[in-house]
This record gives sequence, C-alpha cells and structure tokens, in this order.
Amino acid sequence: MSNGLQIRQALRDWIVANSGKVAPEEVTEETPIIERRIISSLQVMDLILFLEQLGGRPIDVERLEPGAFHSIDAIVRGFFPEVAHVR
Amino acid sequence: MSGEHPDLRWYANGQSALSGSLFELARRLDSLFLAWGREYGAREHLFPTFLPADELAKVDYFHSFPHLVTFPVALAPDEENLRRFASSALDPGGTVRLTQPAEIRDVLTPAACYHFYVRFQGETLGAPEFVTTRATCYRRESHYLPLQRQSSFSMREMVCIGTEEEVREFLCSARECVRTFFARIGLPVEWQIATDPFFDPSRSPKYIFQKVEPVKTEMVFGGRLAIGSVNFHRDVFGEAFAIRRDGRDAFSGCVAFGIERWIYAFLDHFGPRESDWPALEP
Repeated sequence: MSNGLQIRQALRDWIVANSGKVAPEEVTEETPIIERRIISSLQVMDLILFLEQLGGRPIDVERLEPGAFHSIDAIVRGFFPEVAHVR
Repeated sequence: MSGEHPDLRWYANGQSALSGSLFELARRLDSLFLAWGREYGAREHLFPTFLPADELAKVDYFHSFPHLVTFPVALAPDEENLRRFASSALDPGGTVRLTQPAEIRDVLTPAACYHFYVRFQGETLGAPEFVTTRATCYRRESHYLPLQRQSSFSMREMVCIGTEEEVREFLCSARECVRTFFARIGLPVEWQIATDPFFDPSRSPKYIFQKVEPVKTEMVFGGRLAIGSVNFHRDVFGEAFAIRRDGRDAFSGCVAFGIERWIYAFLDHFGPRESDWPALEP
C-alpha cells in the first residue's frame, strides 16, 4: 500500500475497530490516541504488528522515538515518510 | 571508587553494611529527602517487608519483572518434611537443600511505593495524598557491585496520588528542587529519559509504551549510574487499585532515591573523607 490517503484511512479504521471507544469522526489526524487512552499500552504491540503489515517491513522497537504513536499524523510521518505529505 | 572504604563491608551475596561516616551519611541523606517531602506536607509511612503477590499481580508485575522478583520462603510445616530438611539442610558449598516449601503468597518489597497503592486501595481521595516512605528493597540481578547494584538496598520515595494536574505539578516542582540541590553541591547529574528494566523488553507492550510515551526520568550520576528517578504512572495504579480522585481513577507519580547509590556518588565525586562532603541542608 503506497497511497498516503489509504494508509491514513487504514490507520483510522484500525484505531476505531481496536479501541471500541471512539467513532471514526472522533479520530482526526492529530487526535492524541495514546494520551487520550484511545489505544491502551497493551494494544501498542498489536499496533506495531499492524504497521509492519501495512508497510511490509519489520519495526525495530529499540529505535522507537518518544511520540512515535502520538497520532495518525505522527505515525505516518514516522513510519511512512515517503507518503507523509499526502493528506 | 572501588567499593573499598573502612566504613563499608561488602558481602558476596550482593549486600553491604554501613558504619561510621557512611552510616551517618545515609542518615543525613534520608533526612534531606524527608525535608523535601515536608515541603509537600508528605506524611511518612512505615511498611512491612512483604507485599502480597496477588496485589502486585494487579499491575502485571510478574509478567514485567520475573527476573527481578524475590520471595520469602519457608518450609511446609509437616513433620516429615521438617525432619528431612533438618537432617541435611545445606550442601557442602553452603546451598540450602530445600525440601517441600510452604505456599508462597508474598514477595519481598521490590520498590517502596507499591505499598502506597495497596494502602489506599478502594479509597476515594478528597484531596491529593502526599506521602513518603523508606523501604529496604530486594531485587535479583545478574551481577552485583558495592553500593551501585545490590540485592538489597534502601529506597526513599515521595509519592503523590491525585488528579493528573496535581501529580504533574508535584513531579515538576520536586524535580526542580532536586536539580537545584545538585547544582548547589556541584554533583554532576544529568536527567535522562529511561525505561523500567522489563523482562524480554522487545515483547513487552509496557516497555514499548514507555519508549514512545516516556514516563520515567532518571538522575544519572557521572553519565553512568542512576541515583534516583522521577516517575509519572498516569492512572495505572489508580485503575488497578480502584483509587479515585475527582470523579475518576487517580493519577500518581513518585520521586525515588537510591540511598546506597547516592553514597557511591558522594564517595566517587567528593572523596572518601567526611570532611570533604558538602552540607546536606535542603
């Protein structure tokens, strides 16, 4: 998947489906999904697996930076920089 | 600092004994930490050595830190078991030949502040709780070093349980208080974002969560030894122990000081003589 819009939509769908706490319209590009507990600490591992599937490459958790999963926009900028400009 | 000092006795099991000037330094350091706690009106508590295992399990302790945990062990009380043990208690190398152990339902305190969440369990707080305790803590480690990494050590903690804002304000102001002290006495300490020492970290959701949402900042002496830390727990303990504040799960945070490590830092930086150590007024 290489289209930035599709990636953002797939992320939103995953967050809404896995959180069970929010409707799609409540999750914007900048919504702080960790800070607002939309995604719990235990779901972070599942999110990494999903991002690995989406990007087709493994993620080295030792290289994760603070704020990496802050929002959809932060995730796309960090893990899909080649399409981050497409919103 | 090699760990050699006339007032330090080091044991092969990873423990130390202090006397004379080092014992006095430990006391003065703890008095300093208590004085900082008094700035917040922190009430001092004294807790027992054991923590119920089922309480620690509420915060997933055994998944996160199985490599660190230690247990109080006793023998199953039946006479035959006791006779078998008594007849051959130790092997020639000094290892205990344990026969049937009694049920283990407790752990030895791994960190001082856990006791507070058990203590305030189920309570609704009308105001933030500022509390402090000093505990002997026990951890299994792969290796031990005098004053730096011990199987048992002294930890003083100041804890705030309250709203998110109350806890953040406490941590911020306590950190500033400690930072000012380091600057005044000239101890080279850097503040570094850190993670807890999780077991199998790359598979630990909590470790990964701490990487992306830092909650722990350590006071690192000389670029290599954490002598304390500032920890923001969010509402993890409030939720696990049903502590409520302002209509929701309480937030909490703690400032922890490793007393033996502070002593190490003093000896390493200021030297072994008491007369060269700085004054410890808050």
